[in-house]
Amino acid sequence: MNCREAADHLYEYLDRELTPDVQAQIKEHLAHCPPCGQHFDFEQSFLKFLEARCRAKGASPDLRRRILRELFGE
Amino acid sequence: MATPARTPTPVDQAKREAFEREALVHLDALHRVALRLSGNASDADDLVQETLLKAYRAWDQYQPGTNAKGWLLTILRNAFINEYRRRSRHPETVDLDSIEPFAVFEDVQDKDPQGAFFDRIVDDEVLRAIDALPLAFRETVVLSDVEGLPYQEVAKILDVPVGTVKSRLFRARQMLQAKLYQYAVSMGYIKGNAP
Repeated sequence: MNCREAADHLYEYLDRELTPDVQAQIKEHLAHCPPCGQHFDFEQSFLKFLEARCRAKGASPDLRRRILRELFGE
Repeated sequence: MATPARTPTPVDQAKREAFEREALVHLDALHRVALRLSGNASDADDLVQETLLKAYRAWDQYQPGTNAKGWLLTILRNAFINEYRRRSRHPETVDLDSIEPFAVFEDVQDKDPQGAFFDRIVDDEVLRAIDALPLAFRETVVLSDVEGLPYQEVAKILDVPVGTVKSRLFRARQMLQAKLYQYAVSMGYIKGNAP
C-alpha cells in the first residue's frame, strides 16, 4: 500500500466501507506514514465536526403532538 | 358530518404500538433530513407529517424488524422530490460537473493540521454551507454524514449506484470544507494563503 493508494480509499476507510483486509492495509500504512496519518486525522475530525454540528436540533414537541393527533386522533 | 370516534380494536392497538416502536422513534432523524432537503421549518414539518401518515397507511408493507429508518427516509425523499422540490427555496442551477473539488488540507497542513479552526465556526454557518450544496450532493451528505447511513443504504434511498454515492460524497465534502475554510479565513479564525 503506497500513499496514493491509501489516499484513493480515504473516505471509504473513514466510513468503514472497505473489506477488513484493505482496511488493515491502510491502517498499517497510516501507522508508518506520518503525512498520510495527519491527512486522514484531519478528514476524520472534519467528519466528526460535521455530524456534531448538524444533529443538535430534533423535531419540536409541537410537531410530535400534531403527528400523534393526525395518526391516532389524540 | 364528523365521523364518531370508534373504540380502537386490539388490531389497531397492536399496529399503533408497533408503529410507535419502529417508526416514530425516527422522528428526529426524519425532521433533520426534511429540514436540510426543504430548507425551511414549515415545509420540513409538513413533509415529516406526510411521510409518517403515508408510512402508517402502508404499514402492512413494512416487514417488522427490517430497516424502518431506511424505509421511512425513502418515503420522505420521494415525497420531497414529487411534491416539495418545485417550491423549495433552493435553486437547482448548478452544473455538478463544473464544481472543482478543493483540498483544504494541503492549504492548512503547516498551520493547523488538526483543523482546530473548524471548532470556531458556528452551527448556523455549517448548516448554511450544507444548504448551499446542489440537491444531489446535499441529500447524499445528509444521509451519510449526518445520519450515518452506510453507502449501500444511501444508494438505495436515492436510487443511484453505490459508485455515485461515493463520488458525490467526495465532492460534497470537499466543497463543504472549502466553503467553511473560506469562511474561517474571512472571520480571521485562520490565516489564508494569499492568492
